[in-house]
Amino acid sequence: MNQFDETLNYIDRIQKAPTTEQVCLELLSVTEKFGLNALLAGTVPDPNTPLAEQKKHVLLCGWPVGWLDRYVQKNYVDRDPVVVRMKKSPGSFKWGEANELSKSDPVSQEVIGDAGCYDLRDGFAFPLYTLDGTPVVVSLGGPAFESSEENLSMIALVSTYAVGRGLQLSQKCRANDKRKALTERETECLRWAAVGKSEWEISQILGISEHTSEKHLLNAKAKLGAANRVHAVAEAIRLGYIS
Amino acid sequence: MFYALTTSQLMSQTRLWRSVHELRHQIFVEEMGWQDLARSDGLEIDEFDHDEAIHHLVVRNGELAGYQRMLPTTRPHLLTHVLTDLYEGVSPTGPDIYELTRYAVAPAYRDGRRGVSTVGTELIAGFVEWGLAIGVDKVIIEFEPMWVLRALQLHFLATPLGYQRTYGRQQVVATMLQFNRETLETVRRRRNHFQPVLTHLASEENEFRLAS
Repeated sequence: MNQFDETLNYIDRIQKAPTTEQVCLELLSVTEKFGLNALLAGTVPDPNTPLAEQKKHVLLCGWPVGWLDRYVQKNYVDRDPVVVRMKKSPGSFKWGEANELSKSDPVSQEVIGDAGCYDLRDGFAFPLYTLDGTPVVVSLGGPAFESSEENLSMIALVSTYAVGRGLQLSQKCRANDKRKALTERETECLRWAAVGKSEWEISQILGISEHTSEKHLLNAKAKLGAANRVHAVAEAIRLGYIS
Repeated sequence: MFYALTTSQLMSQTRLWRSVHELRHQIFVEEMGWQDLARSDGLEIDEFDHDEAIHHLVVRNGELAGYQRMLPTTRPHLLTHVLTDLYEGVSPTGPDIYELTRYAVAPAYRDGRRGVSTVGTELIAGFVEWGLAIGVDKVIIEFEPMWVLRALQLHFLATPLGYQRTYGRQQVVATMLQFNRETLETVRRRRNHFQPVLTHLASEENEFRLAS
């Protein structure tokens, strides 16, 4: 298989990955060959973002265990040479260039030293821009890496597909979160509908009018974004309202 | 207003035809620096403005605000005859695949720094709607790699056709974008505009008179 077909294969696997964790693993399987065995992709939090909020900016996390926690706990993001360099100008760059720029900042030097303890010594990073212009930083690293310009642009392209897939998956998550929760009565009605009871039967079981049971079912259907009653029951099961 | 016009329909609207080729010259020659396309009359026209090309126009207040050209892949197009180093193996062709070229938003209608303007998203909604209506569900685009992410956000299924190359100061990657109803709905949700954008020529001749 030639290198281009291989790239297509990776992209195909990334676009079919069901979770952001899987997207991350697929991407790492590509970058590892070039000595890049760790990666992080996310939006940059504004300076002074509370520590608890910072992790929400992470889209794909393939950093060594413990490093993200330490990074957040030490509030490194504002002084990370990679982030500082990214804010200065667009385009891709090697970590070394970024480190050079932050040479005089002791906190930045601490970030570099600390990353080294997690075997993150060299890498490269680049920004991607979403539809509304928000930058997403992709940073890839490892103990040492060596790569031609051509390989770097291949890695950047595959990473773009990974971030795109990550955004699709997180949008889906948010869309689900936005759904209004079902009330107890609506859930009750769905539970009986799931075992084949009619509106009239449900009304008799619950001691409510037939009209009311119909209304509960219609509301549940709307909240679940379901096309019909069968779909509503299926969604309620999937989301754990009924079993 | 979004219009899809054949070359002869466009040529019958003299002023609009002129605005199209002026806009293309302004964006691709003067702004992007593609000197090969420069012409002393300030109108960018090439051999692909043939009778099977479809011109997509976004008109705002009687003025041309956005443009893109759709070329059938069943006859010579940019990827097969000009940008031949942008694909590996065999380039995809067929009646269900068009090539989208000369995507342009007039400077006055751009928003922000890196976001996509409402004219830009109208061009996108427009070609998806236009394609779905006539059985076209794939377009080939040679664009900057940053567009890949935007396309994925809009739920296009994207496939690169080759490696990215540098043309002047620009990086370009040929990509095939496949779309369906879900893509259209995502684009519409993004725009917060759910009505079809494609306007049929016959009912809209007045709009064009305004422009001429």
